[in-house]
Amino acid sequence: MPDAIVTLQGVDKDYPLGAVVVRALQGVDLEIDAGEFTVIAGPSGSGKTTLLNLIGCVDVATRGTVTIDGANTHKLSERDLTRLRLHKLGFIFQSFNLVGVLDAFQNIELPLLLQRDLGAAARTERVRGLLEQVGLTAFAHHRPGELSGGQRQRVAIARALVSQPRIVLADEPTANLDSVTGAQILELMQALNRTGTTFLFSTHDPRVVERARRVVRMVDGRIDSDSAMSPAAAVSPAAAVSPAAAVSPAAALATLTPAAADHPAAATSV
Amino acid sequence: MGMLFRMATRNLGVHKIRTSLLGTAIALVTALLALLSGLFTGMQTTMLRTATTLMTGHVNVAGFYKPTSGTVAPVVTKAAALRAFVEKKTPGVKLIVTRGRGWGKVVSDKSSQQAALVGIDIGAEVGFRDVVQVKTGSLEGLREPHSCVIFQSTAKRLEVKVGDTVTLSAPTFRGVNNTVDVKIVAIGGDLGMFSGFNVYVPEATIRELYQLDPLTVGAIQLYVNEPDRAEEIAATLRADIEKAGWRVLPPVSQPFWRKFDTVKREDWTGQKIDVTTWTDEMQFMKWTLATVGTLITIIVGVLLVIISVGMMNALSMAIRERTREIGTLRAIGMQRGGILGLFVLEAALLGLGATIVGVVLAIGTAALVNGIGVGVGEDFQMFVMRETLWLEMDGGTVALSVGVIAAATIVASLGPAWRASRLPPVVAMQSAK
Repeated sequence: MPDAIVTLQGVDKDYPLGAVVVRALQGVDLEIDAGEFTVIAGPSGSGKTTLLNLIGCVDVATRGTVTIDGANTHKLSERDLTRLRLHKLGFIFQSFNLVGVLDAFQNIELPLLLQRDLGAAARTERVRGLLEQVGLTAFAHHRPGELSGGQRQRVAIARALVSQPRIVLADEPTANLDSVTGAQILELMQALNRTGTTFLFSTHDPRVVERARRVVRMVDGRIDSDSAMSPAAAVSPAAAVSPAAAVSPAAALATLTPAAADHPAAATSV
Repeated sequence: MGMLFRMATRNLGVHKIRTSLLGTAIALVTALLALLSGLFTGMQTTMLRTATTLMTGHVNVAGFYKPTSGTVAPVVTKAAALRAFVEKKTPGVKLIVTRGRGWGKVVSDKSSQQAALVGIDIGAEVGFRDVVQVKTGSLEGLREPHSCVIFQSTAKRLEVKVGDTVTLSAPTFRGVNNTVDVKIVAIGGDLGMFSGFNVYVPEATIRELYQLDPLTVGAIQLYVNEPDRAEEIAATLRADIEKAGWRVLPPVSQPFWRKFDTVKREDWTGQKIDVTTWTDEMQFMKWTLATVGTLITIIVGVLLVIISVGMMNALSMAIRERTREIGTLRAIGMQRGGILGLFVLEAALLGLGATIVGVVLAIGTAALVNGIGVGVGEDFQMFVMRETLWLEMDGGTVALSVGVIAAATIVASLGPAWRASRLPPVVAMQSAK
C-alpha cells in the first residue's frame, strides 16, 4: 500500500470579511496517496481552490493540520514552506502564470535556478528533455506572448515538473483552453501521472472529472463524497489503444495535431 | 543572480514608457547635480587660485613689528634669514615670494579712494600673470619703480587710464604721512571683490612709501602642491620657526589686518612671527563657499526627494501590476529575498543607467559652457571671480553625482520592494481567477 503524501485532519479555513467570518472549509479530513490522479470537484464557492491552496502551502489553515510528505506545515517557517513548495510541489495555474519576460526555456528552467542543485549543463539537459516531452522544442525561445494558450499551458506543465516534485497541483488547468486543447493537456498529464507523479486537480470541468481515478466532491466547504473511479474511465482512448502511449508522455503528445496545439486561447501570461 | 538580472532588464524594457520617463527624470537630475557640483568646484578652484594669487599664499609667514608697545607694523624685519629657513623646512613648495602689505589712499586728479597696497616682484610672480587679465597696458611695466597696476572698477572710480599718474598716501610706521607718485602701467579685468580695493606696486615702491629698509617685507608667501594640507604645513612650520628661536604668535584664524588692535594692545616690543593659511586670510571665501554649498545641498536635497518619490511611485505601480508575477514566483519557490532583490535590482539598473546618461550629458554641457564662455553678471562675478562661468567636472564630482543619485534610487526602491516581498503567494492563485 502506498503511503499518504498529503494528509488533512480536521481542517477549517476562515476568511474574515469585515465583521463577518466566512468559513471556506470546515472539518476537512483527506488523505492522498503517492501516484494518484485525483480531482477535487464542486461548484464555484465550494472550497476546492481553498483546499488546493492549503495543500500547496500558499495559505494556512485556521484549524486542523496539513501534512505534506511527512511535514506538518503548521510547524514550518515561511522560509521552510517556500523551500517545501520549491522542492516537493509543482503548480499549474488556470491562467498559466508564466513570467512574461522570459521565454519558454527560461520559464521552465526557473525552479531549477531557484533550487541551485544542478549545474548549467544538467539544467539545460533536463529542460530540453521536458520541452521535448511537451512537444515544444521548436518553441523553446518563444516568449509566452508568442505562444498559444495550449502551448503556454504545456510550458506551465513543464515548469511544474522540472524540479521533479512529489505532487503537482493544478487549479482549473483547462478552464482557459478550448475543448480540443484541453483534452490534449489532460492526455499529457495522464501520461505523466503514469510515470509516477501525483496529480491533484481542482476543477468543475466534467472533462477533467471523467478522466480522474478518484474524485473528491466539495459542497459548502465540506467533502460531500470521495469516490474511486473505474479504470476504464480513467484511461484515455489514446492510451487504451497504444501501449507505448501509456508510458510515454511524448507518445501521448504524438496524437496532438499542430492545428489543435496552436489554437489560441484568451488567457494571458504574467 | 543571472536570472534576476535577466528578468530585471527585460521588465525595464517591457515597460518602455515608464522606464523612459523615470530614466529621463533621473538623468536630468543627475546632470543638474553634476553641473551644480561642477559650478561649485569651479568656483572653489577659481576663488582659491585668484585669492591666493592676489591676496595671500597658501601659507603665509608674516608678522608684526612693534618699535614701542603702543605701535605696530605688519612687517617682517630681517626677512632674508627667515625666508631661507622657511625654504629649507618646507618641502613640496611650488613657489615662495615676498610681498609688501599696506593700507593707504590712492589719489587721482579727479577722485580718491582707500586701497590695499600690495608690493610685488613681478619677475617672481608667475601666477600673477596667469590670473590678471590685462585689458590695457602691460604687467611688465611693474618692473619699473613708481608704477602700479589697478583693476577696471578702480580705474572707473578714479577716472584714470594707463599712463596717468596717481598719488599713494599712507602713514609710515613712525606715524608720519608719506606720499609716492606712481604711474598706471596696466589695468586688469575685474576679479570679483578684490578688484575694488587692490593696487599693485613694485616692492621697492612700498618700501619707499613706508620708509622700510630692503630687508623688511610684508609677508613670505608659500604656494604648495597640496593647498588642502595648508593647515598642517602651517602648524609644522609654526613649530619649527619657534623652535629655531623666533618669537611666534599663537594661531588665530583671522586675516592679518583684523589682528592689528589685538597686537597693539599687547605688552611686548620687537618682532613676532605670525604663520597663517589662505583660509585664515580669506575667511569670506569660506563663508561664500559654505553658503553656496548649503544652497546646492538644499537644491540637491529637493531634487533627491522628487526622484525618490518618483521611484517609489513607479515601483509601487509596477508591484500592483505585477502582483500575479510576484505571487507566482513565491508559489513556485522564490524566497522573499529573491523578490526584494528583483525589484531593488530593477531600480539599481535604472538608477545606474540613467545617472551615467546624466553625467555624460553634464560633461557635454560643461564642455559647451566652458568652450563658448557664458558671461555672468557683475554681481555674480563678485563671487565667482571670473567674467565667465566655469564648470569644473572632475572625477570626484562625477563619481559623487552618480553615487548620490544611484544610491537615492536604490534606497527609494527598498520600501516598495520590501512590500512586494511580503505579498503572500496565495495572491497568485487569487489573481488567476
